[in-house]
Amino acid sequence: MLSNTGNILLIGSIASTFLIIYFAYQNIKVRSPQIKKNIIYLSFFQITFVISSFLLLIFAFVFSDFSLIAVYQNSHSAKPLFYKISGVWGNHEGSMLLWVNIMVLFSYLFFVFNNKTNSVLSLYTLIVQNILILGFLVFLISDSNPFFKILPIPIEGLGLNPILQDPALAIHPPLLYLGFVGSSIYFSAAVAAILSNSDGKNFALSIKKWVLISWSFQSLGIIVGSIWAYYELGWGGFWFWDPVENASLIPWFCMTALAHSVLVLEKRNYLYNWVLILSLITFISSVTGTFLVRSGILNSVHTFANDPSRGLYILIFLSLMILFSFIIFFKRRINDQFNLNPLSKETFILSNNWFMMFYLATVFVGTIYPIFTQVLYNTNISVGPPFYNQVIAPILIPFLIFMAVGPKIGWMKSKFISYKPFFVIIILSLLINFFISFFLKSYNLISNLIIVSSLFLILYSLKDFITNVKSNSYYNLASFFSHLGFGILILFIILNHNFSEEFDLNIKVGETKKIGNMEIKFNNLKIENRENYNAVIGDFNIQDFQRNYLKKLNPEIRVYENPQTLTFESAINTNFKQDIYLTMSNIDGSDFYNIKFQVKPFMLWIWFAAFLTASGGLVRVFLKK
Amino acid sequence: MKTKFLIIILLMLNIKLSANENIGIDTKIFKNLRCLVCQGQTIAESNSDFAQTIKIVVRDKISRGSNEKEIYEFLSEKYGEWIVYKPKFNYINSFLWISPYIVLILGGYLIFKYFRKRRQ
Repeated sequence: MLSNTGNILLIGSIASTFLIIYFAYQNIKVRSPQIKKNIIYLSFFQITFVISSFLLLIFAFVFSDFSLIAVYQNSHSAKPLFYKISGVWGNHEGSMLLWVNIMVLFSYLFFVFNNKTNSVLSLYTLIVQNILILGFLVFLISDSNPFFKILPIPIEGLGLNPILQDPALAIHPPLLYLGFVGSSIYFSAAVAAILSNSDGKNFALSIKKWVLISWSFQSLGIIVGSIWAYYELGWGGFWFWDPVENASLIPWFCMTALAHSVLVLEKRNYLYNWVLILSLITFISSVTGTFLVRSGILNSVHTFANDPSRGLYILIFLSLMILFSFIIFFKRRINDQFNLNPLSKETFILSNNWFMMFYLATVFVGTIYPIFTQVLYNTNISVGPPFYNQVIAPILIPFLIFMAVGPKIGWMKSKFISYKPFFVIIILSLLINFFISFFLKSYNLISNLIIVSSLFLILYSLKDFITNVKSNSYYNLASFFSHLGFGILILFIILNHNFSEEFDLNIKVGETKKIGNMEIKFNNLKIENRENYNAVIGDFNIQDFQRNYLKKLNPEIRVYENPQTLTFESAINTNFKQDIYLTMSNIDGSDFYNIKFQVKPFMLWIWFAAFLTASGGLVRVFLKK
Repeated sequence: MKTKFLIIILLMLNIKLSANENIGIDTKIFKNLRCLVCQGQTIAESNSDFAQTIKIVVRDKISRGSNEKEIYEFLSEKYGEWIVYKPKFNYINSFLWISPYIVLILGGYLIFKYFRKRRQ
């Protein structure tokens, strides 16, 4: 019953998508600037169908309707309500439905906001976007249908993977999808702009808002995922350069570059080709990432739903998308000629793009290189954190300096930033860095330089902000938030990197171990039955004689029944200064427990700074004067 | 004047060349090794038996006076290059290490080209 309703709604979505493409095409053919009413109605029907099917699936998960395979495989009646809902996108089928929902949502909103000012471009965009939607809907209904039935109807479900049963991970996929699936709309708009010979400025104006929105959500999605990895995966790191993390970072670099260069196109009508290319590759890299992850080609902690046929469909779809978009791009190449003044905002924005492309190239090559060596030389290599840190870290230094100076430079031509504040702030940054390393602990040259340049960015942004508030002139609050946030983020990441303390040791119940000025005491173990798992809870005392504190920490080993899994829950004591982090795991055939004990400074600041950075895009869109 | 200024700056960068001492050399090595039986985890993160074994091997090697590089080499001979997270700079991996910088130089050149046009 539910399955049939779901399928009818999906068929309704496909039908309305078809009709939208058809009528929009007819509308373009008659060359009237007026958009026909029926396209607007159809768009409304389409979004209603798609959202209803999604709500229906949520309903099926909430009421544990195990007649659907997707529900049976990923839910369980004893699961808390919140995780029943998040189970909807915690699997391949449901997440594809969410994917389609977001594509339709962006399609609808873009059309509603742009059809009056820019009817031709928005009609073309609507067609391209709906062709994409159609592709994903066909994939959804034929191969990844969340409404497939199972007979006989099972009494109980298999349950959701326990490590996915977590508040941060429940909201992580929707946030991330709003980011990289949202980028489909400016992919479509770029193809549409080429097809309709739209002028650069119009194109820039129509996509700018969507670039910023998707950029903010992409950032938020990445941050939430990283917070989850920090406390749930139990190794105390928050970024591992895992292939899946890289897959989310590559579109983020494109979006960041685009969010900057689209301003040049809007204000100066330069860089049209470049903005088009960025718009195309953002979505292409999003789909490529999805393909690499879902098909299981990349070895990753996130791999789920490995199925070659799915991989093949996405691969064909992706190839067609790349092929057609670039054929269209190269056939109607738009000629844009321009000259840059070295001291202009244009140059600084281009330098942002320059660094972004460097980071992108590094991450891209690092992610796919192991595949190459395996195919060509039959050797397996691993490209991990040491590679990325070594290549990327030094290039952060000029990037941070450019990022500090850029926002104040004027368009076209500018006198150089006044030397005096520039040098005062450099000296101040050097001094602060000196005090940190002199009184606390010294670190290597690259860390020194990164700390100095991030301090420079922070102080310079604050200075700009204060002078602007004083003179009461217009100030770009969005760029202030993002740039300041990024400076704080890098500063605290590097401090955290240099000041973290980590210990790995084996310990028995009742034992006390001394490390440095600290003492770890393993008091006892107890076992508790909780809602849907059993917990083995360790009771530890951490005493620091130097800083004179005593902390109690209770890491857990959780034993889940459906599906049978062990998870290791970290115990974290958080304050503004530092996180004290402890995980424990059993060692088979011995009384010893392996514990990982870490003192990680400024974790709270890292999260705060990351959120501040991400807020910039939304501030620009929603708080615009 | 300029050189004095530079010297002062260099002095202010209170540089330490040795490795991070808060993290034991063992933990540092564990972080750079892949747990071969896990899904994308390092030896430091993993709770598997394999990780426990590797930890014992690495600590044993350290106590016998092997340095970091020797340990990596020993392990990659035994388990293949797949186990180390930092790929060696050799013929096969050269493009991996060089290509990001090619992009960097190329990008810089492209931007610079637009300046030059103006001057002519």
